[in-house]
Amino acid sequence: MDSSEKELIANLKSPRHREKAFQLLVKTYQERLYWHVRKIVMNHDDADDILQNVYIKVWKNVDTFREDSTLFTWLFRIATNESLSFLQKQRRHPILSMNEVSDYLTDSLESDVYFDGDEIQKKLQLAIIKLPEKQRIVFNMKYFDEMKYEEMSEILKTSVGALKASFHFAVKKIEEYLDEDHK
Amino acid sequence: MKEKDENIENLFGKLKNGQPFRVPEGYFETFAERLQVRIEEEELPTKKRTLFFYLKPALSMAASIALVMLLVYVPIKKFFPSTQGYLTQQKSTIDSVDKVSVLPVPVDLFSYFSESQFVSAVADMKVIDSETLSPDSLGDYIAANYTDFDIIANN
Repeated sequence: MDSSEKELIANLKSPRHREKAFQLLVKTYQERLYWHVRKIVMNHDDADDILQNVYIKVWKNVDTFREDSTLFTWLFRIATNESLSFLQKQRRHPILSMNEVSDYLTDSLESDVYFDGDEIQKKLQLAIIKLPEKQRIVFNMKYFDEMKYEEMSEILKTSVGALKASFHFAVKKIEEYLDEDHK
Repeated sequence: MKEKDENIENLFGKLKNGQPFRVPEGYFETFAERLQVRIEEEELPTKKRTLFFYLKPALSMAASIALVMLLVYVPIKKFFPSTQGYLTQQKSTIDSVDKVSVLPVPVDLFSYFSESQFVSAVADMKVIDSETLSPDSLGDYIAANYTDFDIIANN
C-alpha cells in the first residue's frame, strides 16, 4: 500500500474530507470495476446497477475497511460478490441454477444493444457463459484483465493452485465448445 | 497443460485485444454525478429520522386512546347527564357510611343532633294507625309471614 493510497483511505474515513476522497475513489476505479462486473453479468444496465450498488456499499462501510488489503482488492471483492449475488437472484430453482444463469446471461447478451462483437467474439462469450461461475470469473480476470494469480487469490479468497486449475479447466471447456461449434 | 493454455492464447489472440462490449456515450463521465444522486436518495430517509420519528408510534397510540375516550365519554355525558351526578352521590353516600362505621361505639346521638331536631323528627314519624290493626288483618299478616312451626316454637 503506497502513501497516496494511505492518504486516500485516511481521507475516506475523515468526515471532513470524505466526499472529495470518495469522488477520487470513484474516478480512479470506476472503469476497471465496470468491465469486471460487465463481463460477469454481460448486460450494460445490470452492470450499471451493480456498480452503483458497489460504490454505495463502499460509501456506507468505508469506516469498517480494515486496511489489511489494498483498496483495489477490497473494491474488486465487493464487486465480485455483488455480481454473484445479482446472478443468484435470477435463479428461481436452485436445482436448475446453472442452466438458468446461463440462459439469463445468453438472453442478456442477445438483447444488449451495447454489444458490438462479431460472430467469433459472440461465440467466445457464449462459450464463457456456459462455464460454472467461478471458472468464468477466473477466466475473465486472467484472460481479459491479465490479472496476476496472487491478486486474484486475494480478491476471490482462493489459493493460487486452485485458481490455476480453474483457469485450465475453463480454457479446456471453451476449446471443446468452440471445436463442437466448428464441426 | 501450459502448451494447451498457449494454444488457446493463440486461438483467441486477436479476440483478446478487441473489446466487444461498449457503454453509452459519456457513461463514465457522468457516472459519479448519477452515483451522487443515488447516495443522496439513499441517505434521505435516515436524515429525516428526528426525535418525532422515534416518538411517532407512542404519540399515535396516545392520540388513538384520546380519540376513543372522546368518542365514548362525550356522548355518554351528553345523553346521560345524570349518570355523573348519580355516581358522585353514590360515592359520597359510601364515604359517609364509611365515616359512620368507623365512629367510636357507643354513639352519642345528641352529638350529631340537637334535642329539638330529634323531637321534631320523632313527631314527623308516621304513627301506626291502631284502627288499621284489626284482628282480621293481624291474622292475615301472621298467616302470610309465619308458619305453624314458628308460632309453636315462639310460644
